Amino acid sequence: MGKRTSIGAALLALAVPGMGQPAALKVGDRAPDFTLPDQDGRPVKLSDFRGKKNVVLAFYVLAFTGG
Amino acid sequence: MKAYQADIAKFEQASTQVLGISVDSSPANKVFAKQEGLSFPLLSDFQRTVSQQYGILNEQHGFANRTTFVVDKEGIIQHIDKDAEAIDPSGAHAVCSLLEHRKAEGSKQ
Repeated sequence: MGKRTSIGAALLALAVPGMGQPAALKVGDRAPDFTLPDQDGRPVKLSDFRGKKNVVLAFYVLAFTGG
Repeated sequence: MKAYQADIAKFEQASTQVLGISVDSSPANKVFAKQEGLSFPLLSDFQRTVSQQYGILNEQHGFANRTTFVVDKEGIIQHIDKDAEAIDPSGAHAVCSLLEHRKAEGSKQ
Protein backbone atom coordinates (compact mmCIF):
# COMPACT_ATOMS: atom_id res chain seq x y z
CA MET A 1 0.00 0.00 0.00
CA GLY A 2 2.82 2.37 0.99
CA LYS A 3 4.66 1.54 -2.20
CA ARG A 4 1.62 2.24 -4.33
CA THR A 5 1.15 5.63 -2.65
CA SER A 6 4.74 6.65 -3.38
CA ILE A 7 4.39 5.65 -7.05
CA GLY A 8 1.22 7.71 -7.19
CA ALA A 9 3.04 10.67 -5.69
CA ALA A 10 5.84 10.33 -8.25
CA LEU A 11 3.34 10.28 -11.13
CA LEU A 12 1.58 13.30 -9.70
CA ALA A 13 4.90 15.18 -9.51
CA LEU A 14 5.41 14.52 -13.24
CA ALA A 15 1.97 15.88 -14.01
CA VAL A 16 2.32 19.12 -12.05
CA PRO A 17 3.13 21.96 -14.46
CA GLY A 18 6.52 23.50 -13.86
CA MET A 19 8.00 20.45 -12.16
CA GLY A 20 9.26 19.06 -15.45
CA GLN A 21 10.26 22.40 -16.96
CA PRO A 22 13.78 21.98 -18.38
CA ALA A 23 16.36 24.73 -18.31
CA ALA A 24 15.98 27.12 -21.25
CA LEU A 25 17.87 26.04 -24.35
CA LYS A 26 20.96 27.94 -25.41
CA VAL A 27 22.94 28.46 -28.59
CA GLY A 28 24.90 25.32 -29.46
CA ASP A 29 22.27 22.97 -28.00
CA ARG A 30 20.56 20.40 -30.18
CA ALA A 31 16.99 21.52 -30.95
CA PRO A 32 14.57 18.97 -29.44
CA ASP A 33 12.76 17.16 -32.26
CA PHE A 34 8.98 17.37 -32.47
CA THR A 35 6.04 16.68 -34.74
CA LEU A 36 3.14 19.17 -34.67
CA PRO A 37 0.12 19.70 -36.93
CA ASP A 38 0.06 22.73 -39.23
CA GLN A 39 -3.06 24.85 -39.77
CA ASP A 40 -4.47 22.19 -42.12
CA GLY A 41 -3.79 19.38 -39.66
CA ARG A 42 -0.80 18.03 -41.61
CA PRO A 43 2.04 16.82 -39.36
CA VAL A 44 5.31 18.77 -39.62
CA LYS A 45 8.45 17.16 -38.17
CA LEU A 46 11.49 19.28 -37.32
CA SER A 47 14.04 16.57 -38.19
CA ASP A 48 12.58 16.27 -41.72
CA PHE A 49 14.44 19.49 -42.54
CA ARG A 50 17.78 18.12 -41.36
CA GLY A 51 20.44 18.31 -44.06
CA LYS A 52 18.06 20.29 -46.26
CA LYS A 53 17.10 23.61 -44.71
CA ASN A 54 17.78 25.87 -41.78
CA VAL A 55 14.63 26.33 -39.70
CA VAL A 56 13.38 29.47 -38.00
CA LEU A 57 11.05 28.48 -35.15
CA ALA A 58 8.99 31.54 -34.29
CA PHE A 59 6.99 30.94 -31.11
CA TYR A 60 4.20 33.48 -31.03
CA VAL A 61 1.03 34.30 -29.14
CA LEU A 62 -2.07 34.61 -31.26
CA ALA A 63 -3.48 37.36 -29.05
CA PHE A 64 -0.45 39.57 -29.75
CA THR A 65 -0.15 39.69 -33.49
CA GLY A 66 2.74 42.16 -33.69
CA GLY A 67 5.62 41.07 -35.94
CA MET B 1 4.28 37.10 -37.98
CA LYS B 2 3.63 39.61 -40.75
CA ALA B 3 7.23 40.80 -40.55
CA TYR B 4 8.40 37.21 -41.10
CA GLN B 5 6.03 36.96 -44.04
CA ALA B 6 7.43 40.20 -45.50
CA ASP B 7 10.93 38.66 -45.36
CA ILE B 8 9.89 35.21 -46.57
CA ALA B 9 11.72 35.52 -49.91
CA LYS B 10 14.92 36.49 -48.07
CA PHE B 11 14.58 33.45 -45.80
CA GLU B 12 13.98 31.20 -48.82
CA GLN B 13 17.11 32.60 -50.48
CA ALA B 14 19.03 31.62 -47.36
CA SER B 15 17.62 28.07 -47.66
CA THR B 16 15.51 28.58 -44.56
CA GLN B 17 12.06 27.28 -43.61
CA VAL B 18 10.02 29.54 -41.34
CA LEU B 19 7.67 27.77 -38.91
CA GLY B 20 5.32 29.66 -36.61
CA ILE B 21 4.39 27.82 -33.40
CA SER B 22 1.69 28.74 -30.90
CA VAL B 23 -0.44 26.99 -28.30
CA ASP B 24 -3.55 27.79 -30.35
CA SER B 25 -5.59 25.12 -32.14
CA SER B 26 -5.06 24.33 -35.84
CA PRO B 27 -8.44 25.88 -36.82
CA ALA B 28 -7.53 29.11 -34.96
CA ASN B 29 -4.16 29.14 -36.72
CA LYS B 30 -5.87 28.61 -40.06
CA VAL B 31 -8.04 31.69 -39.54
CA PHE B 32 -4.98 33.66 -38.39
CA ALA B 33 -2.88 32.58 -41.42
CA LYS B 34 -5.65 33.64 -43.78
CA GLN B 35 -6.27 36.91 -42.00
CA GLU B 36 -2.58 37.84 -41.99
CA GLY B 37 -1.84 36.38 -45.44
CA LEU B 38 0.84 34.00 -44.16
CA SER B 39 2.29 31.42 -46.55
CA PHE B 40 4.44 29.49 -44.06
CA PRO B 41 3.12 26.74 -41.74
CA LEU B 42 1.68 27.66 -38.35
CA LEU B 43 2.07 24.73 -35.99
CA SER B 44 -0.28 24.02 -33.12
CA ASP B 45 1.38 23.13 -29.80
CA PHE B 46 -1.99 22.67 -28.18
CA GLN B 47 -0.61 20.25 -25.55
CA ARG B 48 2.20 22.75 -24.78
CA THR B 49 4.76 19.93 -24.84
CA VAL B 50 7.08 21.61 -27.35
CA SER B 51 6.88 25.03 -25.63
CA GLN B 52 7.83 23.22 -22.43
CA GLN B 53 10.67 21.25 -24.10
CA TYR B 54 12.09 24.51 -25.38
CA GLY B 55 11.86 25.98 -21.89
CA ILE B 56 9.73 28.95 -22.88
CA LEU B 57 6.29 28.04 -21.54
CA ASN B 58 4.90 30.87 -19.46
CA GLU B 59 3.49 28.81 -16.58
CA GLN B 60 1.46 31.66 -15.21
CA HIS B 61 -0.43 32.33 -18.41
CA GLY B 62 -0.16 28.94 -20.13
CA PHE B 63 1.29 30.21 -23.41
CA ALA B 64 4.78 30.26 -24.89
CA ASN B 65 6.84 33.40 -24.44
CA ARG B 66 7.60 35.16 -27.69
CA THR B 67 10.89 33.56 -28.77
CA THR B 68 12.57 32.78 -32.09
CA PHE B 69 15.09 29.95 -32.48
CA VAL B 70 17.29 29.53 -35.55
CA VAL B 71 18.12 25.84 -36.09
CA ASP B 72 20.80 24.96 -38.64
CA LYS B 73 20.75 22.03 -41.06
CA GLU B 74 22.42 19.80 -38.48
CA GLY B 75 19.64 20.47 -35.97
CA ILE B 76 21.76 22.74 -33.75
CA ILE B 77 20.42 26.01 -32.31
CA GLN B 78 22.46 28.87 -33.76
CA HIS B 79 20.57 31.92 -32.53
CA ILE B 80 17.84 32.86 -30.05
CA ASP B 81 15.78 36.06 -30.04
CA LYS B 82 13.53 36.79 -27.07
CA ASP B 83 10.50 39.03 -26.50
CA ALA B 84 10.74 42.32 -28.48
CA GLU B 85 13.81 41.06 -30.38
CA ALA B 86 11.81 38.09 -31.63
CA ILE B 87 9.23 40.34 -33.29
CA ASP B 88 11.90 41.68 -35.65
CA PRO B 89 13.03 38.86 -37.99
CA SER B 90 16.22 40.66 -39.13
CA GLY B 91 18.46 38.99 -36.54
CA ALA B 92 17.22 35.53 -37.49
CA HIS B 93 17.63 36.33 -41.16
CA ALA B 94 21.19 37.60 -40.69
CA VAL B 95 22.14 34.32 -38.98
CA CYS B 96 20.58 32.22 -41.76
CA SER B 97 22.42 34.21 -44.43
CA LEU B 98 25.66 33.75 -42.53
CA LEU B 99 25.07 29.98 -42.24
CA GLU B 100 24.51 29.75 -45.98
CA HIS B 101 27.54 31.92 -46.68
CA ARG B 102 29.75 29.76 -44.47
CA LYS B 103 28.46 26.65 -46.19
CA ALA B 104 29.21 28.12 -49.62
CA GLU B 105 32.73 29.05 -48.47
CA GLY B 106 33.24 25.57 -47.06
CA SER B 107 32.18 23.84 -50.27
CA LYS B 108 34.65 25.91 -52.31
CA GLN B 109 37.61 24.50 -50.40
